[in-house]
Amino acid sequence: MAIRMTRRKAVNAVMMGLSTAAAGLGLLVLALILFHLVVKGAGALNLAVFTQDTPAPNAVGGLRNAIVGSLIMSAMAVLIGTPIGILAGTYMAEYGRFSRLSTVIRFVNDILLSAPSIIVGLFVYQVLVATLGHFSALAGAVALAILVIPTVVRTTEDMLRLVPDQLREAGLAMGAPRWIVIRQIAYKAARAGMVTGVLLAIARISGETAPLLFTALSNNFFSLNLSAPMASLPITIFQFALSPYDNWQALAWAGALLITVAVLALSILARLVTSQKDKS
Amino acid sequence: MDTLTRDRNPLTFQGIDPALKSRISIRNLEFFYGATRALKGIDLELPQNQVTAFIGPSGCGKSTLLRVLNRMYDLYPGQRATGEVLLDGENILAKGTDLNRLRAKVGMVFQKPTPFPMTIHENIAFGLRLMGVAKTEMDGRVEAALRGAALWDEVKDKLGASGQSLSGGQQQRLCIARTIAVEPEVILLDEPASALDPISTGKIEETIHQLKERFTIAIVTHNMQQASRVSDRTAFMYLGDLIETGETAQIFTRPRHERTSDYITGRFG
Repeated sequence: MAIRMTRRKAVNAVMMGLSTAAAGLGLLVLALILFHLVVKGAGALNLAVFTQDTPAPNAVGGLRNAIVGSLIMSAMAVLIGTPIGILAGTYMAEYGRFSRLSTVIRFVNDILLSAPSIIVGLFVYQVLVATLGHFSALAGAVALAILVIPTVVRTTEDMLRLVPDQLREAGLAMGAPRWIVIRQIAYKAARAGMVTGVLLAIARISGETAPLLFTALSNNFFSLNLSAPMASLPITIFQFALSPYDNWQALAWAGALLITVAVLALSILARLVTSQKDKS
Repeated sequence: MDTLTRDRNPLTFQGIDPALKSRISIRNLEFFYGATRALKGIDLELPQNQVTAFIGPSGCGKSTLLRVLNRMYDLYPGQRATGEVLLDGENILAKGTDLNRLRAKVGMVFQKPTPFPMTIHENIAFGLRLMGVAKTEMDGRVEAALRGAALWDEVKDKLGASGQSLSGGQQQRLCIARTIAVEPEVILLDEPASALDPISTGKIEETIHQLKERFTIAIVTHNMQQASRVSDRTAFMYLGDLIETGETAQIFTRPRHERTSDYITGRFG
């Protein structure tokens, strides 16, 4: 008896030690990346990064065109992808809950969710760039939107499914038509989760490089033209980090830091939105 | 009344006092969950301005019967009802029944309180807006509904608070208020007090008592004392059959069927 107890305690201690070490290792890697980014990136950050465009090698410049390009294309991707994603998720969780179509959509959506983003880039290249004959910001936004959709579909469906059926029945029992129950009751109950899904989708696309490589390409100059190539932070980082020029490498670090901070801010925002729901 | 002249099993069917007008007439109602037959040829009248209680052991079909009366089962595939349920002379089971209109006429309060994720005021205004009640009338109608459910005094200073911030008993009265706000003809109560403490239960029962002056009420309950306290008529169900129905006092003192007396004396169920 006593021996068995000691053995159990020993096994427990070993397992706890291993899992704690694994967690620690994960955190350590993350901390090292952040530390490295801050050290290298903060030094390269200055006002010019935000006010000047990408420079020639060994000249003074910033990332303005890339920052603005990333913001424009991400915003467009969200504007295109969110309504589609929310509507599809709504269909699956509400109207088509018992239909086979929903099962098929869910399966395809899961594949899309884990599809390598470079394939999405190639697809949009074929459909938009090759047919129109030129790279464009619009094509970039479409590629990013295709990445937004599966995330939003998934979170929308999951969050709506968490809304108790009783609440829907209660709404319908008032004589409310289905769409009012969905809009005024189900969406309200699931709002925090759905907003979180959109924020996470933004976080995901803000660092995507591959889909933009074949679609928006890049642009060394400031451009707001949606049918012309447009610069973006990830691609600028990709180009500059591979270059032999010190000033380009420094800007790449600054850009990397900017993206990381933006994603971090979005994640924290998503957390805040979710926890607000828990309180109410 | 032609319903009285039809051939009936004398144990399951007793005509209601002719002075009472029947609000809902259920005729040969059968209900199926897929292939499972959950209600077996139910015949029943729900008299106007009376409280009819449904009692019986779990799984006997009480809640199923209630969910037929506002066609809530329609939401789920594989569930279907046959027979007739007449409300104002119309068979609500017929194809082409306007479910939104039906449910506005037959309100329902659920076992677990289900306040909508909005303010107390909006919870009540939700149904009123559906009816097209004018903005200028809204506050008055909300107050009247909350008074009707004996909740007004407790919430009048916090109408802007979330409905979900109320206590369980208050939430349930909010749901009752929400239901009576739209002036239905019939109110279905599915074990409305089973999740509540005795004091809240008492308040709900008091409310039910007052509501029957204006509405026809059907209540499902597991609590036989509650059935005897709040109802005028009681229907005892067992395994999908309506075993016996009659005046509550009679059912509880002189049940005609052995199974009924076994159940109310606590010998099974």
